[in-house]
Formats: sequence, structure tokens, C-alpha cells
Amino acid sequence: MLELRPILSALWRHKVSALLIALQLGLTLAVISNAAVIVQERIQQVTRPTGVAVADIVTAHIAPVAKDYDLLQAFRLDLAMIRALPEVVAATVSRAPLTGSGSSSGVQAEPNREVGATPAAIFMVDEHFIDALGMQLVAGRTFAAEEIGEASETTSWRSNTVIITQQLADKFFANTQALGKAIYFSGEDNPMEVVGIVARNLGPWPNSTRAGNAIFLPILMDTQKHDFIVRAAPGQRDGLVKLLEEKLAERDSERVITVKTLEEQKNRYYAGDNTLITMLSGVVGLLTFIVALGIIGLTVFWVAQRQKQIGVRRALGANRSTICRYFLLENLMIATTGISFGVAAAQIFNHFLVSAFNQPPLPPATVASCALALVLISLVAALIPSLRAANISPATVTRSL
Amino acid sequence: MLAYYMVLALRSLQRTPILSALMVAAIAVGVGAAMTTLTLNYMMSRNALAHKDDVLYAVQLDSWGPDESAEGPYQMPDQLSYRDAKALLRSDIPQRQVAMHRWGATLTRENSEQSPLQAEIRVSTRDFFPLFDIPFLYGNRWEQSADESPARQVVLSQAMNERLFNGDNSVGQPVNLNGEVFTVIGVLKHWNPSPKVYDLINGAFKDSEALYIPFGLHHQLQIYTWGNYDAWWNEIPKNYQDFLNSHLVWTQYWVELKDAEQKKAYEHFLTAYIKQQKAEGLYPRPLKFRLSRPSEWLRVNEVLADDDRMLGWLALAFLLVCVINATALLLVKFLRKAPEMGIRRALGASRNAVFSQHLIESGCIGLLGGIGGILLAIVGLARLRQLQMGSLDQIASMDWVMMSAAIVLALIASILAGLYPAWRISHSSSSAYLKTQ
Repeated sequence: MLELRPILSALWRHKVSALLIALQLGLTLAVISNAAVIVQERIQQVTRPTGVAVADIVTAHIAPVAKDYDLLQAFRLDLAMIRALPEVVAATVSRAPLTGSGSSSGVQAEPNREVGATPAAIFMVDEHFIDALGMQLVAGRTFAAEEIGEASETTSWRSNTVIITQQLADKFFANTQALGKAIYFSGEDNPMEVVGIVARNLGPWPNSTRAGNAIFLPILMDTQKHDFIVRAAPGQRDGLVKLLEEKLAERDSERVITVKTLEEQKNRYYAGDNTLITMLSGVVGLLTFIVALGIIGLTVFWVAQRQKQIGVRRALGANRSTICRYFLLENLMIATTGISFGVAAAQIFNHFLVSAFNQPPLPPATVASCALALVLISLVAALIPSLRAANISPATVTRSL
Repeated sequence: MLAYYMVLALRSLQRTPILSALMVAAIAVGVGAAMTTLTLNYMMSRNALAHKDDVLYAVQLDSWGPDESAEGPYQMPDQLSYRDAKALLRSDIPQRQVAMHRWGATLTRENSEQSPLQAEIRVSTRDFFPLFDIPFLYGNRWEQSADESPARQVVLSQAMNERLFNGDNSVGQPVNLNGEVFTVIGVLKHWNPSPKVYDLINGAFKDSEALYIPFGLHHQLQIYTWGNYDAWWNEIPKNYQDFLNSHLVWTQYWVELKDAEQKKAYEHFLTAYIKQQKAEGLYPRPLKFRLSRPSEWLRVNEVLADDDRMLGWLALAFLLVCVINATALLLVKFLRKAPEMGIRRALGASRNAVFSQHLIESGCIGLLGGIGGILLAIVGLARLRQLQMGSLDQIASMDWVMMSAAIVLALIASILAGLYPAWRISHSSSSAYLKTQ
């Protein structure tokens, strides 16, 4: 504690350099704590469970060449062929979730209501869809084969039964049993009885506010917008991509066949978030590195400048750890000044990011842990030159006096 | 003198290689990060229709339901129903007007080895090409009649013409779309604006379509849009004609109005149209429409997303830290040379000379840092393209404007960083240092 005064007076002689380092640390704290909270939020967003077996699913799209192509017949024949493959667990024809394209509509718990609808993704599926998507049925039953209706884009496609996600069931029938109740398309009076509830499905747009609201209707739809959704046996996915291309072409070569993994489509959907995560992590890493280098550079200089004083102190009886402690303490004082300024700057910066760019607010815990990390890094950075200072031999320096 | 100072500066940099490298690295990293995000922001803010910004307008009509407003820009749907588009096309007020939407089909050629492919197609009225200033390589656009009644004609993009016909003049050649024979009547010159200002609704950074077909084909081919479509109630059409007459919005509409007078006339026309619709019991919301210039259209569709703008600000904060870092290091470096400066001053060098010599030294560091920054930005942008999985390939690349901006930014950063240290060294007392010699 006795050392504080000499440190302060020494610092006063280098006030500009010391201030620059403190300023740097403060701004760094402002930037990295804000970056950290955004990264944290996005990672949570991207890695939250989707409710489907993303890693095992392959989608296949067929676009026929001929003009009067019987798409429904092709769906049936292709599905029979796909389901017979030993690598396949289950298959359906629908639109794959997590891809950024799909359809949605307003849903109500009461008939003939126009306002206050809950937007939900609509999936038209056959009886194999729960298995094919690897979803979990938590209540009720899946569709029966004879329940599946047929429709095209210009025919009516209402159904009497529906399977919904747990999230939607909770929303509509909070504390009651949803099974057996009816839901309605907004403004309509056709009841759709809830026959089953699946645990989770984020739907086509995981980043939208309607993510997780999904309804499944037992309809085989005559549309080129639908894909085969095929779940591979564990470890068979990549092989299945090739195999499906071959087998689909083998059954009917007069069509354009596009096979993709669901994982790739999900990554594509999240590409923006993943970019932000990587870029911000890069900013945090580089910035910390630059600041550490700056501290090393400055401490090296101060040590070099005070070689004689260090030598004299050593000759007068100061031991190595005292010298080392001196420089570390000096650095700690600069760091504390910078960090306290940085805490305020971080809040101001965050306020700007929240109001201008819809970013998440900054919790105190994040600032605190970033501040702690920065102090530790600055101490480690100062330790290297401080140890060198401690090794200055009193003899070599005092010789020239 | 400048050349001499630069030699001095380089020599001084060589004398303290580690410290110099640290400073160059600080500037390079700061400039690299700033330029990566600024390039992205700059490229995303481009307006390919800037030269026609005061004559082109995207048309929005508020055809939405009585209870809630639409989610599009200005709380209106961002597209029109086919029915409305057909009605607007009857107006002769605009110089040019386009009704269009996204589509796609399987493309094949008779007696060709090429395997069938799925092609992105734009279904549009013929004014599409002159309105958006799209040059033709061969042939021409379709006749007026093709916008009304079916004509199986197609215009190819240059890339598609190269793929199908090796770049030869393919006018008159047949191609099959979904098994129907079409005749090539024109080939475009390369044209791929990004952001895709004429269709921001289906992906602002998507490539232009490979094929263009006339708007009069809907009935014959039963075309359903491949683009976004929306509706305010669950209308289920009974047949294709019903679908075309439905209130579903899926048609994009642009007009070219040559002056304020024409714009005013067109606004009157739109007002009258909506009033007439209201008389028929449609358009339940208060009368509202909007004509947006390309620059406005880019802004309200949020092509430059919040995340991108935030990254830009973060990168500038980053650069600021790097500048402060360089200032601290420069101060150290210059003060180390203080004894030498003491001698120079004693030998008659003026404060100004010492100051400018050191500022030039900082500038040299900035120049080196700028070059490093460009290299880092190129690496950063390459990584960005990879992270975006191909969707930003056109956007994430530096042009010469951004390269020069990088150098200028680096010079400004380093000179800012050098100002105080250079002033400090030129004002330090020389006698103190001379004494210790």
C-alpha cells in the first residue's frame, strides 16, 4: 500500500500515455460487452431445439419435364419406392420446415372471428409425417391413411382434423386438454378437431415471431412446392442424398431432381445470424489482442525508461517481487480507471444499439464478466515486461551512475 | 524535403521493427475490420436505378382487410392482386408500366444432350426492358399484343444464352418450358443489379432471372406465382379464373412518370380507381396508395438490415480503439527518440520541421497499415461470402472506390494517431536531453 504514492506520481509524469491506455480499455469494454451479449443471444437463437431431426433429414424436389404430368401419382409411386429403401426410416411429402419458405395463416380458437388471429405455419402432410420429421407426439394420435384428402391449388382443401404443436395448444387452451377441441381458420366456421399434439416444430421461419406455431393438415397437395421429406437411418444421410438422386431418376428420368440435406437448408436460413456471430467474435478477439499488445508495448517502454531507477531500488534492497508488483499495481490502477469509464460507455453504446438497431439490452453480469476478463488480460500483458524489469540486475545499471 | 522525411521515416521504422510492426498491425486490423463492414454497407446501399430515381415508382394500393393493416411498407401490401394489375395496365397515363412476378419452369431442348434444368423466370409486361433500362444483345422484346393474349415467346439472359446456345445469336430457336414450345425472340446483355431493386420482396440479393416471358400467358399456362403471395382472408379459388380474380396479392407493379404533372394525373387515376373499387364493395380500408421511388423502395424494404448497420458502427468503434492504440505506441516510439531530437533541434531544426517529420512518419505507418487493411478486408469479405453460403457473392467484394477509401481511411487514422505524439516531441525541451548525453 505504501507504494501507491510513488506509483501515482510516476503515472502523473506519463499521464497522457496512461490515459490513452485507460481510454483504450474503456472503449474496448464498451465494444466487447455489447458484442458479447449479441453473440450470446444469436447463439441461443440458432442452437435452440427445432423439434425435428435436422441431422437425419434429406429433402428431394421433382420438377417434371412433360406438360400434363400426374404429380399426385408420381408422389405416390416415388414415396412407395423411397419407403422401401433400407436406409430410410420414414418419408412424407410436404414442405420442409426451417427453410425460410412456407405458408402461414391466422388461426382462432373460436369460429367466425376476424380479429386477433394467431399466425401459424400450415403444413399439409400425409400419415407418415411425424416419423419422417422425427417429431415427438405428446398427446393424441397421428393421422390415419384414409384421413388424407387430396387437393390442388385451385380446389378447396379444408380438413376436419388437425395436429398442432404444444406451443399452439398452450396458447389456445392454456390449462385445459386441447385434444378433441376445435380450431378454426380466421373468420371461418369450419371446425378442425385437434387429434394430436406434437412437442415442437419451429416452422418455416425460426426467426419470426410466429416460430413454433404450426398446424398439420391431412392433405396430399398437388403442387410443385412440395418436397419429399425423408428421414435417413442414423449415419446414412449423406449416402441417401446420392441414392435418392439415382433412384428418383431411375423411376422417371424426365424430371429435374434436386436433393438437399435439411441441415444445409437450415444453415442457409441462419446464414445471417451465423455471419454476425463469427464477425462479432472476431471483433472481440482482435480487439482484446490489440489492447493487450498496446499494454505490452507501453509497459516495455516504461520499464526501459526506468531501468536506472529500478537498478537503484534493487541496489537499495528492493527484491524482485517488489519491482514486479510495482509495475503490476501501476497497470491495475490504469486498468481500473479505464474499466470504470468503460462500464459507463458500454451502457451508452448499448442504449444506442437497442434503440437504433433492435439489439438486446446489456445485462450487468455481462459487463462485469467482460470487465473482469479485460483486467486479467491487461495484468497478464503487463506481467511479461514486469518480469523483465524484475530481472534487471542492480550491478549492471548502477555501474554507469 | 518530403522525400527526405520519408526516407528518415522508413529508417526510423526499421530501427524499431517490433514496435513499428505493432503499429502497422493496429492500423491494418482497424482498417480491415472497418472496410469489411463498410464495403458490405456500401454495396447493399447501391441503387441500380439511381439514374431514373425521379421518374420510376413502385406502386402500392391498400387493398387490405378492414380489421388489420397489411405488414408491408407503409402498412400496405407490397404487391397488387392480378386483377388490380390488369386494371391499372389499362391506364395510358404513365410513359411505361410493368406488371410482373416471379415464376419458374423446367427447361428442356429438343434433340439436345443437355439435361433438363429448372430455370428462374420473370413473367412481365413488355415495358420491363425499357423501364429498367435493360440492353439487348440480340433480337428484341415481344409485341404489345403478347401482354394481352398468349404468345409463346421468351427473352433469355446472356448467361442462359451462353449455357444453351454457346453465346450464339439464338433468336428464332425453340426451347421447351414445362413441355411447351417457346421461341427465343431476344437475348439480354449482362444485367444483374444487386440489390435486386425491381424485386426486393423475393430476396434482395438474388440474381436476375434467366428467362422472361410475356404477361399474356397466364390463362393458357395456368401460371401460379413462385414468389411471395399474401391475402387478408382465406379465399379459396374454385378454378384458375377464380384465382386470377381473387384478392390474393402477388403482382409487382412499377410505373415511369416523366414529370410532376404526369405523376399528379396518375395519382388522380389511382384515387378514382380505388373509389370505383369501394363502390363495388371492395377496398374496405381508408383510401390509400403509395408511389415510391427506387431509393425509397430500397429503404422501406430494409435492404440494409439493422444487423449490417450495427456492424458498421461497431467496426468504426473498433477502428477508434486501434487509432488510440497507435497513438500510445507512437508516443512511446517518438519519446524514445527524444535525445536524438534534442540534437537535431540544437543543430537548428525548427519545431515545425520536427513536427512535420514525425507526422510524415505516422503517415508512412498509415500507408503500410492501409495496404494491410485492404488485404485483411479482402480476406474478411471472402470469409463473409463463405458464411453467407453464396447469397452475397455479388455484394461482398471491393471495388476501386472502396480500395481508395481504405487507403484514405488508413491515412486519416494514422495522421490522427500521430498528431499528438508529433506535437509532443516537437515541443519537448531539447536541453534536458542534451544534458544527459
